[in-house]
Amino acid sequence: MRGTAYYCTVEELQKRGRDDIPEQFRSNTHLIYSSPATLAFNSPGAEGFGVKRAGLAIPDSIMLIVAPGCCGRNTSMISSMPQYEDRFFYLTMDETDIVTGRHLKKVPKAVQEICDSLEKKPSVVMICITCVDALLGTDMERICRKSEEKTGLPVRPCYMYALTREGRKPPMVHVRQSLYSLLEPKKKKGNVVNLLGFFSPLMDDCELYGMLEKAGVKTVHEISRCKDYEEYQTMAEANFNLVLHPEARFAAEDFHEKLQIPFIELRRLYQIDKITKQYQALGNVLGIPFEDHEAEAAALDSVKRLKSAKPDAVFAIGECMNGDPFELALALVKYGFRVAEIYGTLTAENFVYLKNLSELSPQTKVFSNMEPTMLYYDPEESGVTITIGKDACYYHPDVKNVMWNEEVQPYGYAGVRYLCERLLEV
Amino acid sequence: MKGLRKYLTPFAPDQSGAVSVLYELGGMLVICDAGGCTGNVCGFDEPRWFETRSAVFSAGLRDMDAILGRDDRLVAKLADAAEKLDVTFAAVIGTPVPAVIGTDYRALERMLSKKTDLSVLTVNTDGMELYDKGEEKAYLALFEKFSDKNEESEDMNDKDRPHIGIIGMTPQDVSDLKAANKIRKVYADQGMRAICYGMGDGLDEVRNASLAAKNVVVSPAALKAAQYLQKKFGTPYEIAYPLASELVPEVNYQGKKILIVQQQVIANAVRKEIEKRTGEKEAITTATWFMRKEEILTDLNVDAADDISLKEEDDFISLVEKEGYDVIFADPCMERMIPGFEGTFIPLTHFAVSGKLNV
Repeated sequence: MRGTAYYCTVEELQKRGRDDIPEQFRSNTHLIYSSPATLAFNSPGAEGFGVKRAGLAIPDSIMLIVAPGCCGRNTSMISSMPQYEDRFFYLTMDETDIVTGRHLKKVPKAVQEICDSLEKKPSVVMICITCVDALLGTDMERICRKSEEKTGLPVRPCYMYALTREGRKPPMVHVRQSLYSLLEPKKKKGNVVNLLGFFSPLMDDCELYGMLEKAGVKTVHEISRCKDYEEYQTMAEANFNLVLHPEARFAAEDFHEKLQIPFIELRRLYQIDKITKQYQALGNVLGIPFEDHEAEAAALDSVKRLKSAKPDAVFAIGECMNGDPFELALALVKYGFRVAEIYGTLTAENFVYLKNLSELSPQTKVFSNMEPTMLYYDPEESGVTITIGKDACYYHPDVKNVMWNEEVQPYGYAGVRYLCERLLEV
Repeated sequence: MKGLRKYLTPFAPDQSGAVSVLYELGGMLVICDAGGCTGNVCGFDEPRWFETRSAVFSAGLRDMDAILGRDDRLVAKLADAAEKLDVTFAAVIGTPVPAVIGTDYRALERMLSKKTDLSVLTVNTDGMELYDKGEEKAYLALFEKFSDKNEESEDMNDKDRPHIGIIGMTPQDVSDLKAANKIRKVYADQGMRAICYGMGDGLDEVRNASLAAKNVVVSPAALKAAQYLQKKFGTPYEIAYPLASELVPEVNYQGKKILIVQQQVIANAVRKEIEKRTGEKEAITTATWFMRKEEILTDLNVDAADDISLKEEDDFISLVEKEGYDVIFADPCMERMIPGFEGTFIPLTHFAVSGKLNV
């Protein structure tokens, strides 16, 4: 119907099941509406830690973007941040480059010219290429090797292929593999662990650090906390990896294959009982008790305080935030709140949460952020009083909002506690 | 090295220029890309996107769409959206992906026209040209598609024609979202009504383009469209930027060697404004990273040697080193390229360069 945003209730989606997801929720069947969520989902370099920023996670690295001008255009948003000043460079392509591939011959020379112009030699040069080279079938590994020979520095490819967004290895998966591909085998240390998945650190008082310490771990590495290239290299000493974001799974498999470092995957959750169970499961694998009753009690207490302060809050939850909107919705519903609307990208994996949600809150509406009729989304009748996420804020500009998309990553009981505190503030 | 940039991020590309022209006209704008280009347009190059929701869509191309050339899928998606949305036309805007696979935009336009009742226009941008090229194509496509001779205009004298048409007003070109209202006021103060195509004035005004007494070209990208309208309707045009005075601060310019870097019309309007203030012909050079039209120089009576093209970063750096200017007007992001410059640097923001607006 014209002028109405399409949605399904949780109950309807659950009834249809993961094999019968409506077309409106399948992004390959329709045009993609430009909402803030789409920018993050569909445009791999645009928002937050997209490919461009993520590619510079290694300390003192620089990036050369080899692409048509349009692909590098929005980088100025990032390069204006102090930590990225003088770290982005561009080799722009024209039509003749596409036809002849001559731009590839220029890459080693360009890398050399850039390195010569810098006061301090970079630790790594990342070469970022885009859809055009994906279609041309460019062998960027070879170009990188040539550049390494010319400069004597490590040079790695970074694929910002929006075309492969829904493929087996989307750009954000690939960039994580590139980042860790520079690690060389080192002698293992039994008390070192890597946290993989995010490009910024977990919140400092996340209980996971303390629990790992109690378990005998002396050093926890995160790429975002590495001060220099040498420290980054010590990630190869880890005894095991904890994968906190599914997009880091392939990188963790590379660790396993190349460096013989095994991994355990954990999820970011907001359901306190599930967080406890996940830690218990990790403890079982490690063969030690893995628990923090104090942090758990603090999280429970923060939920209680939120419930008592805002008993009638009605939430709308978007996907532009640090969490899975369906899981967070389920958590809030379990805590006794009402969740009226979810804006998300529905995948088969979300049905784990939809099943429970359909029992507890069957009438919660689910909107697809990318569907064209979202142009007509009308917040009037929703009854929403608080929104979580940048996209939810976009749809409800006049309602109290917690963006919850900060760079420091919320996790575990601490994540729940901070979220409740932020919700109490609005 | 040609194409290598160490200081400046790439300038606004042609697809952003095309979107900029069509953005406010009530159509469904489909960027024929995988998502990255739309992200660039909406998240960066189109400042109006942050203010209002708009019907800008990505075609959402995936690798197999490109490899197999599945234009029929795009047609089906667009036809489906056309049924659900209340829009007046559909525009398909090109990007590097269709350029690489050789998409036939004319064929696409015909296929789309058969599947939907909407008027369809296509702009064959490729992401490798600059914004002004995309604007030029979009303006031409727009006026060719929608502007017809209005019967009312047949017997009108120039005096009776109701308005002045302003062509070339986009945020990319004028770097100021309030510029259209300011220009309307300038003409209103002279008892005339100004229509700013694409900035505050919609498709109906484009349809009535033949009613304009004259057109004012405020950017080189609009020149071809103005010439087209002159040929089609006999509408005369002039080249000017009516807000140039607000871009020139009160500084003593007398006897100074001056460089102005902007799009060609604004750069030369600033030149005229300075010379108006000093009352003399000054040693002024205008330069642009973008299109440069001989007709504009002829029309404004500027010597071609005083108006130059910049392509690479080194062109600007060496020009400044060689010429020893006293005053430089340029986008603030260019100041860091010339740390040794000891003269007066006057900010002259150009959105297509820095992505920043005048505030």
